Amino acid sequence: MSTETSELTTQTPDSGSSKNRERAEWLQENRVRVTVLAVLIFVFVVALLGLDRDDWFSTIMQGLSVGALTFLVVSGLSLIFGLMDVFNLAHGEFFMLGAYLGWTAYTRADTLIDVAIPMLLLGAPFALMPLWRRIAAMVTLAGRARKTSAIGAIVVGALTAFFTITRFPLVIWDAENFAMTPTNMTVQIDLGTLAPLPAESFSGPAIVAILGVLLGGALIAFGFSVLRKPGMESGAIDMKRLATFGGLIVAALVLHLIKEPVNEWIFGLSTTWRFFLSMGVSVVLVAALGALVEVVLIRPLYDRPIYQLMITLGIGFILIELVREVWGRPEFTMARPAAFAGTGEGCPGQGLGGFFSGCSTVEVFGGRLRVYNEGFVVLVGIVVLVGVMLLLKRTRLGMVIRAGVEHPEMVEALGINVRRVFTMVFALGSGLAALGGVLAAPSIGLSSGMGAVFLLGSIVALAVGGLTSFPGAAVGALVVGLLQQIIIRYGQVGIPIPFVEEPFKPSPTVVPAASIVVMVIILLVLPTGLLGRSEK
Amino acid sequence: MTSTTLDQSAGLGDWLRRRRGLLASFALLVAFPFVISIIVDGQGLAAVVNNDLGNARFLQGLAIEVFILGIYAISYDLILGVTGILSFGHAMFFAVGAYGFGILLKTFELAWPVAVLVVVIAAIIQAFLFALVLPRVHGITYALVTLGFASVFWIVIQSSDLADYAGAEIGLQGVESPAWFLDTTNERFIFYLLCLGIFFGIYVLYQRIVDSPAGRVFVAIRENEDRALMLGYNTFWFKTLVLVIASITAALAGMIHTMHQPIVTPNVAGLFWTVTALLVILIGGMGTITGALIGAAVYRLLEYYLDRWFGGASGLLIGAAYVLLVLYVPFGIVGTWRARAVRIKQGRDRLLRLFTGGDDGRTPARE
Amino acid sequence: MSLLSLRDVHTFIEQFHILEGVSVEVPQGSIVALLGRNGAGKTTTLRTVLGLNPASSGTVTFDGLDITEQKSFDIAGMGIGYVPENRQIFAELSVEENLRIAERKKGELEEKEEMIFGLFPDLKRLIRLPGTNLSGGQQQMLAVARALVADNRLLLIDEPSEGLAPVLIEQMMDAIRTLSEHTTVLLVEQNFIVASRLAQHYVIIEEGRTVKAGEMADLVDDDETIKRYLGAA
Repeated sequence: MSTETSELTTQTPDSGSSKNRERAEWLQENRVRVTVLAVLIFVFVVALLGLDRDDWFSTIMQGLSVGALTFLVVSGLSLIFGLMDVFNLAHGEFFMLGAYLGWTAYTRADTLIDVAIPMLLLGAPFALMPLWRRIAAMVTLAGRARKTSAIGAIVVGALTAFFTITRFPLVIWDAENFAMTPTNMTVQIDLGTLAPLPAESFSGPAIVAILGVLLGGALIAFGFSVLRKPGMESGAIDMKRLATFGGLIVAALVLHLIKEPVNEWIFGLSTTWRFFLSMGVSVVLVAALGALVEVVLIRPLYDRPIYQLMITLGIGFILIELVREVWGRPEFTMARPAAFAGTGEGCPGQGLGGFFSGCSTVEVFGGRLRVYNEGFVVLVGIVVLVGVMLLLKRTRLGMVIRAGVEHPEMVEALGINVRRVFTMVFALGSGLAALGGVLAAPSIGLSSGMGAVFLLGSIVALAVGGLTSFPGAAVGALVVGLLQQIIIRYGQVGIPIPFVEEPFKPSPTVVPAASIVVMVIILLVLPTGLLGRSEK
Repeated sequence: MTSTTLDQSAGLGDWLRRRRGLLASFALLVAFPFVISIIVDGQGLAAVVNNDLGNARFLQGLAIEVFILGIYAISYDLILGVTGILSFGHAMFFAVGAYGFGILLKTFELAWPVAVLVVVIAAIIQAFLFALVLPRVHGITYALVTLGFASVFWIVIQSSDLADYAGAEIGLQGVESPAWFLDTTNERFIFYLLCLGIFFGIYVLYQRIVDSPAGRVFVAIRENEDRALMLGYNTFWFKTLVLVIASITAALAGMIHTMHQPIVTPNVAGLFWTVTALLVILIGGMGTITGALIGAAVYRLLEYYLDRWFGGASGLLIGAAYVLLVLYVPFGIVGTWRARAVRIKQGRDRLLRLFTGGDDGRTPARE
Repeated sequence: MSLLSLRDVHTFIEQFHILEGVSVEVPQGSIVALLGRNGAGKTTTLRTVLGLNPASSGTVTFDGLDITEQKSFDIAGMGIGYVPENRQIFAELSVEENLRIAERKKGELEEKEEMIFGLFPDLKRLIRLPGTNLSGGQQQMLAVARALVADNRLLLIDEPSEGLAPVLIEQMMDAIRTLSEHTTVLLVEQNFIVASRLAQHYVIIEEGRTVKAGEMADLVDDDETIKRYLGAA
């Protein structure tokens, strides 16, 4: 009994000695953690000082740039893992998809509009979900027959939708035809000669295609309503739902009618504006995809964690195959927006002010940096870090997320719909990964393997920082970025090894291996990572 | 029920009777090339032995690939399905065998029994490396660390620094067959029989292992490691044993792969190859041993025919099939069949319990 | 009439049949104590009411509405507060945030501030501290306070006296008595003395079944029942 009362009294701020004691206890508890951190910092400093040339500043900045991109991937990974214990192995592929969608919005906005039209129509019947549920309630079949008919409806609907969507006009690149390859389009946008492609027309009567897509969407929606448990509250078909249904159809038709002037307008914008536009489009689309994936594929498996892990692997695999089918296997790049591509007179910019000169490169402290890679990317990374921290610390959603990481059931017992928060966080994380993808597209280019590379880096960052700690994720990303760049630099100058004449020059391909080795060492010494909480 | 004492007392006749399904499928697979040769190719029985070109020869090659995949997947099933260790570095077990054997034969020109011995020793050392981290990290963290190990291996094996040995991104090629019965090109039927024999041998061995007292401890570790510890088993050594067995088996599959394929690509060390093993045991039924073999056949044939019919889009279809499988057929072919046919509810529940409520699977108290 | 009633409720956790027929009536405005040995199914009963471990058969009605198949957050939103065993304080959140998160309408915390800090004056002093720095007794108070922020008509309180020093138990009992003036309470309590001093009604659960229920005043004198179902008390 005495412990309880004494605990109550120690809270009173009596003297400085208790504070000192607390600090000593903290050090005692965290001595491994502090030691590892000190060793890391020591290694970094020694490695940077060991560079003969004056380019330690640019090495740091390049490290920050890679760190910023890694951070954008790992931030979502960390939030999702922390809140719902889902290790999303498809996160790298969300990053990749973000890059490809960003490239498309930036380079081929007309393609995106052509795709958007049937998609809006396909989505419209889903606005009338209560109607389908009510009809589904009239289906008297039960058990296996009910399930079979529902799946039948979904399959027929999907096939109908597929074959009618292909009748819609679509202007698109062609990986087989050189003039039409994505690579060539990137060159054209750099030269300023890229224009909208001449619009195609419907194959066959337009009305058949439009009604077919609507029918397909309705069948799929109906199939899913039959699959759901009967007796659930169905909701009313109010004006809002009808308006959404009508609005989507009208939007699709209007978009179809005015798409040529819209294309002209978008292609007339400066590449800088188009770049920001494509960032927005890509983030929104991938966030929506993330929400859909969470609801349809992840949610049924919350009580089977290993299957969840396996399904995220499958999603990643599908996305890679999808990207290869749609955009082709060859790698290509995204043209840098005009604001970061200036050359010629007055370039490269000098000093820190040079970052705003519009030049593509800038000279700072004797090193030459690329304004986009080492300036803009790092800036976005910092903005996102601050933004997400504010979200977590200052908003109610952030409070719910932080609470949900610890006791999701308790949050639910307080009357909060945790599942909806899960979906929002999944969407947020996917969107952040997509933002990273768009940012990476002009600097490292697009390939179907880029997701796997960044996922590997992110896993390292996550493990180093502590699996469920958001600040830890940022620190981990920083460590990964710096480490990789320092090793790349040492790969150029060589590492002197005692008693060996030739300095050891690791090839650039080995670089990721080094960060993985660091991860394994840190995990073995500190299983909870640098900033992770110790086991509950 | 298949305890060793029972086997000894019942004698060979009884063993044959209980194993008649196994023996029948073995006989069927031995006869399989001849049947194809006669019916599909319209060639005689001698064509098989003479190694003539034709469907029979080609299908033997495909079957060997199934055997390799089966042996590889069965070793992963022992780790993940039976013992419940979540390792994501299994491809490394295979690749160490494949690359190690090839490099030892090609660059160091060792005699093949010596090379096999060296690879087995390497596999054991590697298993101890994987076991070494077991006490430190659990669950997802263990998966990440093992994924890390395998990724390092994957990156190093295809780096230009080792190009002279492993052939960088292209892969290891030009490994010559060290013995006549290991020659898949010129003695396809002999090699086929050899692989078939190893395949069935491994299967019987694994069933024995799972049914043995040690095997029961493996399952107990999966069900509830704390309880196994309390019963006085040193679970660390049992898990190490599992890793050693699986590592040697996977390395064996890798060595056959090196003999059978003209090139060993770095893909066999990558994450996707681990995922393939996962996919195979998922199709077949996790923790069932038999499932790994059936899954290997289904997977390889599905992959081959989808690729033939749909070309580039086959990857998408495999991915979609995989996702649907995880969602709707979580117990795989063997698991679902057993649950339906024999209605052994307990076994299924045990599997369910493994994948519900995390990896501890403890019995919840009422409060 | 009863505010909450459970009729022949069965609940499984995974494949284990934990509740095998629990019936509980909680009259409006009363305190009902749920009694029974360790592992009898008391906590699971509370969790079943909230839908955290949904009932597989039987019905749970709250205020005349069938809530058996409702989702947890909807059930809680109807006006049920929960004080779990082992408290489940959010360690990373400050005391204020721990209370704030329980708001269902903006500004509820400010409305209830006076009442909550009247019951638990300590919490006011600790308002900025993170939950992890609180002692066990303070955490227990915070857990009860958290259930008082929203307008709850029923409180489910699990083992409020567990691990508390006698002084703090008295304080906790005073608090529960005070709040029961406005709220109905279903209480799980191992400490029979505490339960008998707080509750008007009791329900005894044994092996997942309701075996006895009635007035607390009768139970106090019924040594045989106490010995049989609750062990030496």
